[in-house]
Amino acid sequence: MLVMNNISRIYCGESIQTHALRDFSLTVEQGEFVAVTGPSGSGKSTFLNVAGLLDTFDQGSYELDGVGVDGMNDNQISRLRNEKIGFIFQNYNLIPDYSIFDNVDMPLRYRGLSAKERKQRVENALEKVGLAARMDYLPSQLSGGQQQRVAIARALAGEPKILLADEPTGNLDSLMARQVMELLHKLNQEGTTIIMVTHDPDQAREVSRNVQIIDGQITDSKIYAPVAEMPTQEVANV
Amino acid sequence: MNIKALIKSLFLRKFSTGLLLLQLALTLGLIINSTILALDTKAKLEKDTGMPLDEMLVVVSSSTSGAFKELSYAASIAEEDLAKIEQIPGVIAAATSVQLPIQTGGWNGNVNDVDDQDAVLRDRYLKFVAKFHSNEKLAQIFDLDLAEGRYLTEADRTPLFSEEEMNIVITESLKNALYPSESAIGKLTNAGRIVGVVKDFVINPGLADDKQYAVFTNMPVTLAEFVQHYIIRVEPSQLNQVKAQIRDVILGVQPERDIFGLFSMREHMDSFYANDQGLVSLFIGLCILMVVITAISSYAYAQFHITQQTKLIGIRRALGATKKDIVMYVLTENWLVYALGCLIGIGATIGFNVMLSQYIELSKPDFVLAAMGVGILFVASTLATWLPAKKTSNIPPVIATKTV
Amino acid sequence: MFSYYLKLSFINFKRSPSLYALVLLTLSVGIGLVCANFALISVMSGDPIPEKSDRLIHVSMNTWATETPHEEPLHILRYRDAMHIEKADMVKSTVTFFASGIYVRDSESESLARINASVRATTAGFFDLTNAPFAYGTGFTENTGKVLVIGDELNQQLFGGGNNVGKVLELAGELFTIVGILEPWHLRPLFYHATENMAFNNTDDIFAPLETAIDLNWAVHARSSASDSVRTLDESRDKNYFYLQSWVELHKASDRKFLQQYLDNYSQSLKDAGEHPLDIRNELHDVNEWLLKQEVVDERVLAFSIATGLFLVVCIFNASSLLLSRFHAAKFEVGLRRAVGASKSQILTQGLIESSLLGVVASVVAIGLSGLFLIFSTEMLPNLANLAVLNGETLIAGVILSIVTANLASLYSIYRANRYTISAELK
Repeated sequence: MLVMNNISRIYCGESIQTHALRDFSLTVEQGEFVAVTGPSGSGKSTFLNVAGLLDTFDQGSYELDGVGVDGMNDNQISRLRNEKIGFIFQNYNLIPDYSIFDNVDMPLRYRGLSAKERKQRVENALEKVGLAARMDYLPSQLSGGQQQRVAIARALAGEPKILLADEPTGNLDSLMARQVMELLHKLNQEGTTIIMVTHDPDQAREVSRNVQIIDGQITDSKIYAPVAEMPTQEVANV
Repeated sequence: MNIKALIKSLFLRKFSTGLLLLQLALTLGLIINSTILALDTKAKLEKDTGMPLDEMLVVVSSSTSGAFKELSYAASIAEEDLAKIEQIPGVIAAATSVQLPIQTGGWNGNVNDVDDQDAVLRDRYLKFVAKFHSNEKLAQIFDLDLAEGRYLTEADRTPLFSEEEMNIVITESLKNALYPSESAIGKLTNAGRIVGVVKDFVINPGLADDKQYAVFTNMPVTLAEFVQHYIIRVEPSQLNQVKAQIRDVILGVQPERDIFGLFSMREHMDSFYANDQGLVSLFIGLCILMVVITAISSYAYAQFHITQQTKLIGIRRALGATKKDIVMYVLTENWLVYALGCLIGIGATIGFNVMLSQYIELSKPDFVLAAMGVGILFVASTLATWLPAKKTSNIPPVIATKTV
Repeated sequence: MFSYYLKLSFINFKRSPSLYALVLLTLSVGIGLVCANFALISVMSGDPIPEKSDRLIHVSMNTWATETPHEEPLHILRYRDAMHIEKADMVKSTVTFFASGIYVRDSESESLARINASVRATTAGFFDLTNAPFAYGTGFTENTGKVLVIGDELNQQLFGGGNNVGKVLELAGELFTIVGILEPWHLRPLFYHATENMAFNNTDDIFAPLETAIDLNWAVHARSSASDSVRTLDESRDKNYFYLQSWVELHKASDRKFLQQYLDNYSQSLKDAGEHPLDIRNELHDVNEWLLKQEVVDERVLAFSIATGLFLVVCIFNASSLLLSRFHAAKFEVGLRRAVGASKSQILTQGLIESSLLGVVASVVAIGLSGLFLIFSTEMLPNLANLAVLNGETLIAGVILSIVTANLASLYSIYRANRYTISAELK
């Protein structure tokens, strides 16, 4: 459902041109869980930005859920981003003085839904991540892992076609990281397409497909067989 | 202190720096021009009028009953008023007058030598010569100096509306206008025969010094339909004592009067310039506001370092800068902007001066005033930047190594 | 969506209340000052009688009887010139008057205390021509007789208000009967007497018939000039004593040329009789032209408005730099919103609504401040005391100015917020 063809993204500095993405092609089907790996400065972030329509590209074509983004104006792109894509950032990026409810609610405000509908969706999304009881809490009252789960709920609330996660467990200790990864896998099994940038090779191996980016180009694309069962651990609900 | 680097960092914040520059320039322009206005007005007020303003008391009144329409009645009451006033301790002399110096409008007429009817065609100011119809004491009251001849005496007294030729005294500038190269004594004008010339004093501050034309007569005018002025000369520092008693004295003679003006000539001059003074107050008030606002901007501008450049400042400290260095860094940056602002401000001052001059009289700016304005602004902006500079110096070096 | 943006604006205000308060104060002070000035100028330059200001004509003539020329035709007329104007038949009505003052009391009052009243000695046409508003009674119909009309303030001072038509007043020993009482009547400026710095005076306390005033030798309280010697007013009718002013009401504005013709013919007839030594220069001015010519708008206020205008610019700059610091703080949230799908125009709308809301609040504070500044200004410039009025124009201007300046101040912040790439702040 995501098709990138020969994408190039060039940054023009004062005297140097940097090819952050170079002749980059990638196709992701519905339901895949893709891990994107690569060394620092390889273009992983640029790829995520272009895929997430946060940034433009200079050459090539990009089709998301059957819609080509070529020639779209800002309104149309924003629409697309709002409806099809859900973002999860490394440092959660919750608004500190909004309640959990308001944080999850925020993307829905740009859809023109009624208050009732929004409430329904927010509650559903929080249920999915197991934090429905904390709707009125502030982010500072939750642990890092819980905050990230709220961020995931926010990404899910709009029922996106694809989740883009940028090092989602980068700021979490191993216990919380585990919980978050479990959640992501669960969502993937329920049908959500996920692309995740990660440094952790273990995480990379647990997903169905790996893509490695070096110097702005894809170098490797491994497909793993889906793991039958995730090793679970009893963890205190931190 | 790396000035070049400082200038470069200013360029990075083009918008903020530009805003502050313009504010400084406009504030300087306003400060200097307001000071010019204040000084101009002060000069007007302090101009030597030639009269002892603090020793002259003025009473302005109207009669309220119809009895005063009878000319001889009105005149006799006035004479009695003056006699009683002169008995008050501290009073040197008192007289009636149809007008006061330094006022708008007044009692004017045209004056020319009887053989030179066309004089007014050469000099249009001869059309509006101030007439001081009073008694023989007016010269003493105004403290006028004789230039030629003599002042009027009791013998020169002429009854109102008399058709006889009367003796008059004129001011020196009127003499120069009518008889530039000869003595004026004995000459006959359409206003009377000249027996004396007094040195000029300020009658109309709006006219040039050599256009203070006036005629003095010994023909007191007391007409019910016109407002009555009494001008009283008092001993030094006796003014308030006399002022306290005047009302009772006058009303004691005849109570059907409305005394609606009782002031010294000094107060009279102040009220003549009341609107000009008011404008100065408005401008000064605006200056203060403007300096406050610009100080707030300077403060916000310097705050930038704390909010946006915490890491950079920390790095500087980590590399060896002392707290004092940081304070000087922030202050120097402010002084740089301030200096540039003053440069532009000179242009703003001149421009502002030109704009204002279209509507009011205003002197041109000079170097001393410019320096003073620059000084005030310097102090204000340094004070405003002091606190942010201090706070910036408190940023700990450890921040340099923080990654979150 | 609009209410959501409003909600977001309030949240923003709550986050940095002191900063927004400072921005609010800065803008309000600047706008308040400009509004106070604007109020003064708009009242000073206002048209006090718009329904007929182009049909009311003031007459100036050059009939001065000696060879010494004035720079301009005199705005004051002799009795014979004014009476000729009064006889004009191609016009709707005319009025001739002079300003005076007198001490007046209720003739039936026990107290002998008299009130100082301003007087307009006028022909009967005054009231219709000026649309004088009557509370009780009517104007007088002849130019003679011991009758008068009084204004509302004098009515309050003498009788405490009420219908006092028919009562008798004593004016310097003479008895006059009240035939009409006016409602409170504010003319800003006092167009019918805009000369001799009287343009900001109140309307007169007493209106009395012209011929009666002349016969009683009432004082002339405005400019008068004579080339003959004149002792008393009652012997001045056929002398060259210039002290009267005349206004004419035309049927329609284009009738002016007929009036001009009428006056020029008259002047020519004087010239032919050897009685008009100066050039014929009859000048007609309608209300607005006359006010302009008299330079009724105080130059000092104009000078001060330059200063307040520049001050407002400084205030906008100040607000702008303060808001810029907010922009830096807001970058994160804007980036986040863009990431979840807000378009640039939605972010822009949010910004504009926030600054407009700020503008609306600022306008309330500004108008309050402008009232204060207005009072302060007229304390400083006492001849403008009657003009301290916040008229409708000023209020509207204040609100518009507030919203515009608040948006201007936020412009750069909004522009910057729109330009940068989203991803930078979210890392």
